[in-house]
Amino acid sequence: MSTHAAALMPPTFMPSVYGPSLRTHVATLPSMTSVDVRELFPGIPPAITSGDPADLERVRATTRASLANVDMSKITPDSSVNILASEHGFGLMGGWPYAEMVKTLREVVVEHTGCRDVRLRLAIYRGFQEADEVREYFGFDEAFDGKVKGLGPFDRGVQVDTVIGPMYLVQRAFDADLFIHAYYDDPREMYFNRLLYKSFKSFCMSYARFETRSVYHSLFGNRSGSIIPRALFDSEYIQAKYTFSSVLRTAPTGVIGIDATDDLYAIDRRITRSHLATYGRMQRLFAEIGPCVAVWDGGRWGYYLHAGGVIFGVLLTSGLDAFDLDVPVVAGFMQEPGNPVNFTRNKSVRGIVVNQAWVGAGIPYITMPFSSPMYIVGDEQAALWRQDSANPLLIDRAAVVPDIEAGMALACERGDTDKIVVFDGSYGHITCNQVAAHLLRDRAPSVDEHVERELLPKWLAQRGL
Amino acid sequence: MATIKYVAELHVEPCTGCKLCDIVCPSGAIEMVARKAVIEDSLCIGCGRCVDRCPEDIMWMTQRAEPLVKTVRPDEVDQTQTAALLERAGIEPNVSICVCTLTPASEIAAAIVKGASNLDEVSEMTGMRSGCGIYCVAPALRLLQAAGADVSTPKGHRWYPCTIALWDVSDAARAAYPDGFIDEDKAVFDPQHRFEPLTTASPETRADEPDRDQRVNALSARRRETR
Repeated sequence: MSTHAAALMPPTFMPSVYGPSLRTHVATLPSMTSVDVRELFPGIPPAITSGDPADLERVRATTRASLANVDMSKITPDSSVNILASEHGFGLMGGWPYAEMVKTLREVVVEHTGCRDVRLRLAIYRGFQEADEVREYFGFDEAFDGKVKGLGPFDRGVQVDTVIGPMYLVQRAFDADLFIHAYYDDPREMYFNRLLYKSFKSFCMSYARFETRSVYHSLFGNRSGSIIPRALFDSEYIQAKYTFSSVLRTAPTGVIGIDATDDLYAIDRRITRSHLATYGRMQRLFAEIGPCVAVWDGGRWGYYLHAGGVIFGVLLTSGLDAFDLDVPVVAGFMQEPGNPVNFTRNKSVRGIVVNQAWVGAGIPYITMPFSSPMYIVGDEQAALWRQDSANPLLIDRAAVVPDIEAGMALACERGDTDKIVVFDGSYGHITCNQVAAHLLRDRAPSVDEHVERELLPKWLAQRGL
Repeated sequence: MATIKYVAELHVEPCTGCKLCDIVCPSGAIEMVARKAVIEDSLCIGCGRCVDRCPEDIMWMTQRAEPLVKTVRPDEVDQTQTAALLERAGIEPNVSICVCTLTPASEIAAAIVKGASNLDEVSEMTGMRSGCGIYCVAPALRLLQAAGADVSTPKGHRWYPCTIALWDVSDAARAAYPDGFIDEDKAVFDPQHRFEPLTTASPETRADEPDRDQRVNALSARRRETR
């Protein structure tokens, strides 16, 4: 067991108009330390990259190896092919591993098929400037000879007839003869997707118009919603253009490999097995933390910032076992009659200190400050939140603090807790204070055994695996 | 209910008339006049999407002198009509349709009963879509459809008629995805089996609401006057 050691630094992240000026990371504070994910759960495989831009050779080599046996015969020299990339991949370990997979994918397709018209389509969520930021920061214009375009839910749609009815995807995603599904398997909102066919989700989110996204979220339950992306993927329209998938594989330790084949269902089964065993342990460990203060300290929306590969949203909803399909709703828009609350909240999160994070998520935090008081660091950041239309009342319920130390002290005092967990985009370790580190190390062995003996067999059986 | 604190503004002169702001405006507050964007303050619900979208970077948000409250109160409409509409659409009255403003389904339904006939008008009356503008759309379109409104795509792909809900899944679809938890979720969300697949309101149903067309016409006239 390690003793007090300085915290490891989180990955660097892309500056953005949707976040404040870059600040000093909480990990630099002397009160912070790091807990290694493999110290907690030795069975989780190690990462193949640190995520640093200078440490991507294994990502490149693994991508090439994974593509060696993929059938690319649909792609001819005269084809046009869109590589479809989605935004959250660029928030994963700083985004460089995903960017490297996407660039390598293009190289290999050109080499194997002679096709020169390989374009990149960057699916973003709500910020119209995000695609341009990603394109520039990760050097995609150079890698794709300028054939790069962003797309979002407000762009022109195309009707796709599915077995459950017509739905609408974004036309620009499919404006080539063929496409490649270039994905990543970060389970992110496991309380919503429940690891039910997660590998297909882009077809009703990243590549979809907002109406389709709304149907998926608001007019189906957590579990039944899983038929929507599958119905879209299985549609004649998509199957006529689909070539294969290349998926950046992760564990809470970081990127662990690349999985590529034309059989997305097979990839999904492999991912689900792996995630239940790895992220399942982390999910249950987070539920053990109890009263604590969370800190947002990264270059993405706070809800999606990672600690040990697990996003903040999981901590906020960790009261229920997200992977137990006998639980009908963990968090979601559709609720049981008489229950108007959309998202369950872990009331043990006694405060949220925002050192740096994007605003405008559209994943509203409106009810969060009721149970978890928020502390916004600095006036510049407070001004961003004040104008955030996606969270119109948040700033009215938040306190603005001058610096991170003051924010954490105030949050701990008012929340009557001494544990601090930092969501700074880290994989492979959790940035936290000593008290939290001690608790994580103390609880991990029993969580490990409970998952292995009881939960994992149940989770797998519920999914027919 | 939404309290709108900000309003969009622009430098008119450099506006190229590209219409991108108009397409993403959720409340119909922008129209093009002589190839220039014109913002109607009273219709703007402060989402800021136009500012983010503008390729010329000539738009910005400014704080309103007084916040604008957008709401339709329950006592403004016949509650039996609201309840019937929600039931027809298969949507629980208390669920937050707009999770950014916590606007419940009952208020969206009330806006439609009051006369809103499309998504823009629902947004303008309730402040729905002033946040992310995404997750609330399908339930609102479904309520409009249940009320007999035309939800087909207007010019400029402002929305598409996508309103499929759990209650609409056919036997064929259920058979195609036997692990889709359709029956299980129906039992959870509709234990009393109240909800049916959505069929657009029949002429007979609409005949039960003789003053509806009058209300819609009055609302349209009010919007024209506002402009």
